[in-house]
This record gives sequence, C-alpha cells and structure tokens, in this order.
Amino acid sequence: MNKVTESAIVLLIVGAITLIGNWIGYGFGIMEALPGMAVLVGICILGVLANKYIYNLPTVLYVITFGMIITMPGVPGHEMFAGWVAKVNFLALTTPILAYAGVGIGKDLPALKKTGWRIVVVSLFVMTGTYVASAAIAHVVLKFLGEI
Amino acid sequence: MLEAIKNVKVHLLVLALVVGAEFIGILKFNVGPGKLVLLPMLYAVFLGTFLGPKFLKVVNDKDMGNASALVSLTLMLLMARYGTLVGPKFFEILKAGPALILQEFGNIGTLLIGIPIAMFLGLKREAVGAAHSIAREPNVALIGDIYGLDSAEGRGVMGVYICGTVFGTIFFGLAASMLSILNWFHPYALAMASGVGSASMMTATVGSLSAIYPEMADKIQAFGVASNTLSGLDGVYMSMIIALPMSNKLYKILYRIKFGTPQEGK
Repeated sequence: MNKVTESAIVLLIVGAITLIGNWIGYGFGIMEALPGMAVLVGICILGVLANKYIYNLPTVLYVITFGMIITMPGVPGHEMFAGWVAKVNFLALTTPILAYAGVGIGKDLPALKKTGWRIVVVSLFVMTGTYVASAAIAHVVLKFLGEI
Repeated sequence: MLEAIKNVKVHLLVLALVVGAEFIGILKFNVGPGKLVLLPMLYAVFLGTFLGPKFLKVVNDKDMGNASALVSLTLMLLMARYGTLVGPKFFEILKAGPALILQEFGNIGTLLIGIPIAMFLGLKREAVGAAHSIAREPNVALIGDIYGLDSAEGRGVMGVYICGTVFGTIFFGLAASMLSILNWFHPYALAMASGVGSASMMTATVGSLSAIYPEMADKIQAFGVASNTLSGLDGVYMSMIIALPMSNKLYKILYRIKFGTPQEGK
C-alpha cells in the first residue's frame, strides 16, 4: 500500500474515534457532525497528496492553508463548509491525538524523566519571553502610529 | 505505518481513552486572575501513560511504537479544523493592518530567551522544540512533521504545549496584571501581545486587563481578538520560515560554545 492510502485509512480511523468523543463530550450527534468530519479528512488527504506530488513542504502548511481557503468569504460554498465543520468541536479533535501520544509515551519515559522539570522551567520562560517581547513591539508600533 | 494501522488493540485503547476522557469533561478552577483548566486531552495522555510496561503492562513495546508512529498524522485533522477557524476572519485580519503583523515578531523574543535557558538547564535538541515558539497546536504539528513527535525536538514541543495548556491562562492573566502595575507598556500593547498564545490565554489576559482598565475595555478586547486571529493565520508560516531556522542556528552556536565541539549527528 502506498503512503497516501495508508494515511487515508489512519485519518478515517481517527475521524471515527473523534466523532464518538465529539458526541460524548460536546453533544454533537455522529450523523450531524459527519459532513464536517468528511470535509476535514478530505482536506488532510489533499494535504498529503500535495506534499507528495506538488512540492515537498510540510503537510501541515498545506492542510492549514486549504482549511482557510474553503472557509474564506467569497469562496463558493464557504458558509456551508464553515457550518459543517463547526459541528466538530476543536477540543474533541485534540483528545485522540493525546490518547495516541499517551499510549506511545511509555517508551520515552526515561527520557522524559530526565528532561521533565527542565521543560516546565523552559515553558515559563517561553511564555514570559513571548509575551514581553510582543508587548514591547506592540507598544513601539502603536506609539509610532500615534494610536497611544 | 501499515503495521500500526493493523494494530487494532491500539485503536481500541485510544477509543476507550477518548470515551473515558470526554466523559469526565472539562474541569476549571479559579486561581487568582486566571483559571486552572483541565481538558480531556490531559486525562487521555495521563491515563495512556499508565498503560505502559512500567505500570499496568497493557501495551508492549510494539504497541507503543505503533501508537507514536500515528501521532503526527492525527494532528492533521486538528490543523484542518484550525484553518477553518481562520478562514472566515481572513479579511478582518488583513484590515487590522501592519501593527499586528510587526507584533508577531515577538516570537523571536521567545527563542532568544528560551533556547539559551533550555541549554543552560542541560537540554539538547529538546531545546529547539521547546523554545522555538510558544508551542501552540500549529507549532506542535510542524515539529511533528519535520522531526516526528517521538524525537527529542518532539518531546520538547509537547512538554511546553502541555504546560501552556494547564497553566497558560493563569500565567498570562498574572503576567498582564503584573505588567500593568509596572506601567512599562500601554494597556493596548498588553492586549495585543495577549494574542500570541491560544484563545484561552488571550481571553484570560483580556479579561484581567478589562477589569483593570474598564474605560478601555472595548478596544482592549478588539486588539486581543485581532492579534489572536492573526497568530492563527501566520503562526505556522512564521515558525517555519523564521523561528525554526533561527532556533537551529542559535542552537548550533551555543552548542559549540558550551561543548567546544560542533554539534554531533544531524
């Protein structure tokens, strides 16, 4: 089996699991959310195809861009697509990802033990650094534009 | 990947974890100006860890390898959804103009501070994953795509992602209140900067800023939302074109300074 078919099968399996979680956690019926999920799976398959046949950029770039284009005002059917995918809760999509990661995490536990607390410290600096640097730039730009 | 697809046990375990986690649902606790937020994804990763050979011994090495192999692909569904969140607001963002775009370069502050600290603490390639960005969903997906999420870089970005999810709103809420006391930056600048993280981080920050400056609340909210939407639009491009290459370069330089030899391996 080639990579594209394999990816499609994985996406269908994960899509099915997500639909169940989306129903239990966020109250969207499985049939109600099905069109939205079909659109999302379709976008992902197009992304995998583009990565393979168009240009070898990360698949994630194609997938985000395609998702954006079909819901952009002015694009035919954008309201219909946006309405469909709205029935698939954003958080419902995160749970299966972290479940797969959780099942697989056991083999990385020794490495995680070694790095765990350090990552927590780094994350505090990362959040501070981003926030303060962005605020500083925003302040200068707003001042320059005469908004403040 | 074929072996991972055929491993029905893994998919059934994931289904069980998802059902259990969604059944518990979202839990929120008020802490200071922010909220401690526990999401189903956290229960899923936590319970999943206990299935391993160290604890319950439900999964073996092969199952774990199979599960890890699928993570970066499962992220794509989330990214497709992410794109559809940005699309409807595309033209509003363009109108918001150059101030917001320049502000996005604050991401560079992240890596300039984060990577030296991470390496000082003894992290190696984890540093690049952890500190190249603020580690929201698109950044996780990008690292997964390029290095794989079970690589050192992947462990780094996942660690910061999870910390940000749990503590992010508390942290951003507090940071905004503290910076407003220091009075270095205008409240509008603080509001704009709140958009760099997730939507919940932005909401917490805008919430505490609006409470401090009620007369500016409308504009504070507008700046926060516009900047957050823009981060959603350009975050992944920014990471790939600027932040990740810069992080790798900085890592190489610091590695040579710290160990006196060029970086081993890749």
